[in-house]
Amino acid sequence: MKANPKDVRTGVFYIDGDVAAAEGALAAGCKFLGGYPITPSTEAAEAFARRAPQVGAMFIQMEDELGSIATVMGASLSGQKAMTITSGPGFSLMMETIGFGAMLEIPFVIINIQRSGPSTGLPTRTGQADMMQARWGSHGEYEVITLSPDSPQESFDFTIKAFNLAEKYRAPVMLMSDECVGHMTEKVEIPEADKIDLEPRRLYKGPKDKYIPFKPDKDLVPPMVKAGEGYRLYLSPLSHDQRGHPLLSQKSTTRRIVDKIRLNADDIIETKEDGLDDAEVVVVSYGITSRVAYRAIEQARKSGIKVGIFRLITVWPFPDKRITELAKRVKGFVVPEINYGQIVFEVERCVHGNANVVLVPHGGGWVHNPDDILGAIKQIMKAKKRYEGIFEYKTELEKLIFGSGVQKK
Amino acid sequence: MKQHPILSALVNAIKISGVDKNKVCVASDIFYSPQEIEPLGFDFFQTPRGRPIPFGTGLKLGNPELKVVALTGDLSTLGGNHLVHAGRRNMELVTVCINNFVYPLEPGKESAKYMFSTYSNFERPFNIPHLGRSCGAVFVARWTALHTKELSTSVAKALNKPGFSVIEVISPGGNYFPGIDSLDEESNLIKYWYEHSEIKNGEDTMNLEIESGKEIIVGEFIERERPTFIDSYNARLSEIMGDKFVPYGGKSY
Repeated sequence: MKANPKDVRTGVFYIDGDVAAAEGALAAGCKFLGGYPITPSTEAAEAFARRAPQVGAMFIQMEDELGSIATVMGASLSGQKAMTITSGPGFSLMMETIGFGAMLEIPFVIINIQRSGPSTGLPTRTGQADMMQARWGSHGEYEVITLSPDSPQESFDFTIKAFNLAEKYRAPVMLMSDECVGHMTEKVEIPEADKIDLEPRRLYKGPKDKYIPFKPDKDLVPPMVKAGEGYRLYLSPLSHDQRGHPLLSQKSTTRRIVDKIRLNADDIIETKEDGLDDAEVVVVSYGITSRVAYRAIEQARKSGIKVGIFRLITVWPFPDKRITELAKRVKGFVVPEINYGQIVFEVERCVHGNANVVLVPHGGGWVHNPDDILGAIKQIMKAKKRYEGIFEYKTELEKLIFGSGVQKK
Repeated sequence: MKQHPILSALVNAIKISGVDKNKVCVASDIFYSPQEIEPLGFDFFQTPRGRPIPFGTGLKLGNPELKVVALTGDLSTLGGNHLVHAGRRNMELVTVCINNFVYPLEPGKESAKYMFSTYSNFERPFNIPHLGRSCGAVFVARWTALHTKELSTSVAKALNKPGFSVIEVISPGGNYFPGIDSLDEESNLIKYWYEHSEIKNGEDTMNLEIESGKEIIVGEFIERERPTFIDSYNARLSEIMGDKFVPYGGKSY
C-alpha cells in the first residue's frame, strides 16, 4: 500500500526533528493524535495540530497523559492509525496503558522526545535515559519495538517505519528520539507519496461469525476488526484465551505477545554498520550519540586505530546475534550513551566475556565530548587484560576530581 | 444466571432508543464476564482502571458514527478528572457512573460495606449530578439500580442526545463484599435504596447531596443543548481556515 498524496507534504524542507516526526506520522496515514504538551516534544504536537485540519486528521489536547494515551487506544480500535507524542514525566504517566495496549495488541505509536531526568530533571535538555523504561516500564511481561533517529530526516523516515511496524506486529512502537534531534534543524526531503510504502492494517476478512479475536496467523500476529462493526467484541486486558475470555493462565497470552516480537526479531532489527570489516574497536551507539561518535571515530582512524561503528536503529529488539559475532574478533566495544549505563549492559551480555566493554557515561543535558569517546577507544587499545564486567571511562576532568577510573562490577 | 440490573437497563435502552446495536461500544473499567456481555450484542472494552471516559473519547473520535457508553465507578481516585474535561468539551459520550459508595456515606446505615473501611467511612460522597451539571453535561440523571425502567428511558434519551451525559446509578458494589455488613445480601441493600428514594424530576442539582438518614433524590435533572466537540471543532476551524479545512469525519484508511 502506498501513502495517500493528500497526506504527504512532498518537498525539501528546513525543519527540526519534532516537525519532521509529525510530518512522518501524517504521511504514514496517522489520523489521530491525542496528546498533552510537554517540552521538548511540544513542537511535534504543534506541527501535527497545524497540519491536521488540512488533511482531515484530528488533534485533541487531552487533560493529561493518562487520558491522551487512553484516547489513542480507543481511536486505534476504531480503525484509525493513532499516536501520542510525549517526553519525560508524560512517558512515565503513560506506562500503565502501554501495558494495556500490549496486552490487547493494539497498534499504536508513541513519539518520545527524551529529556534529562529523573523527575523534572532538565526539561529543555537532552537525555537517553528512558531506554530501559521503554522496554520494562509497564508491569508484567511484554515486548516493544523502539527506533532511534539521529537526524530530522530519520525522524521523518522512522516515524513512517514505526507505524508500519505497529500495524504489522500489533505491538507498541516507540520513536525514542531525544531533545537534540527533536530541536535540530536540518534539511529534510519528503518524497512523493508513491515512494512511501505503508503497511495496511491486518483486517480480518473471513465470515463474521467465525471471528476469533486473538487467533494468530502464522507469524503469531492475529488479524483485527474495527469497533462498531457487529463483531460483538469482548476485549478485556485480563489474561485471556484466543476468544478474549479470561483465563487463569498466562500460557496463551503473554507467551505469544513476547514471542511475536522475539521470533520475528530478525525481520524487525535494523542496524547500520560502518568500517567493521577491519575494526579492532567497535563503537556501539544509538540516537544523537552516534553522530557524536563519528567525530571520535574519524580522529581515531587518523591516528591509525581501526575503529568501526555499530549503530542501533532498533534498540529493542536488541541485535544480540551480531554483537556476539563481532565480540569474537574485536578487542572491545565502546558504548557512549547519555545515561549512566543502560544499553551497555545489553552489550556486555551479548559479548559473553569475549571482549572488553567500556562505557562512556553522560549525565544528560548535553551530548558527549568526542574526545571522551576517543579516550575510551584508546583505553581499549592499551588494555593489557580483559576487564571484569564493564569498564566505566572517566573523563580527564573526572579523573582530576575523583581519581582515576574505577572498575564497575 | 443472575441478571445484572444495570446491563439489562442498558440493553433495554438501546432497544428503546432505536440506535443501531452494532454501533454501540461500551467502555468500562468495571469487569463484566464475557458470559454476561456476549449475549447483549454490543462491543465491550474493559479499559485500564479509571480510563473509560478518555478511552471512549478515542473510540468516538476514531469513528464519530459510534455510540459510546462509558461505565465508570463513582469517580473515585482514578479518572475523576476525565469526566470534568469530557463535560467541558461536550464529548459525545453517555457516562453511567455506578455509585457503590467507594466514597461512602450510605444513607441511614453504617457504611461498613466497603473494601478499605471495615469500620465505616466518614468521608463525604460526590454529588455527581451537580458535578456533571457544573462540567457542562447536557443530560443529567440519577437512579438507583432497581429503577430499571426509568434508567432505561434515561439512557435511551442520552443515547439520542448529542453531547455529554451523566447518569448516576446507585448500586451496591456487586457481589464482592457479601455478608460484611448488617444487610447481609446485596439485594436487600438495592431494595433499601430503592425504597428510600424519592423521584423529583427537574430538581436543582444543588439539593442532591446524599446524606445520612435522608431520602435519596432521583430523577432527570438537566436537559439542555450545547454544541458537541466535533461540531465545535468543525465550525471553528472552517471559520478560520475556510476552503483549506477538511472536516473531520473520522474516515479511516
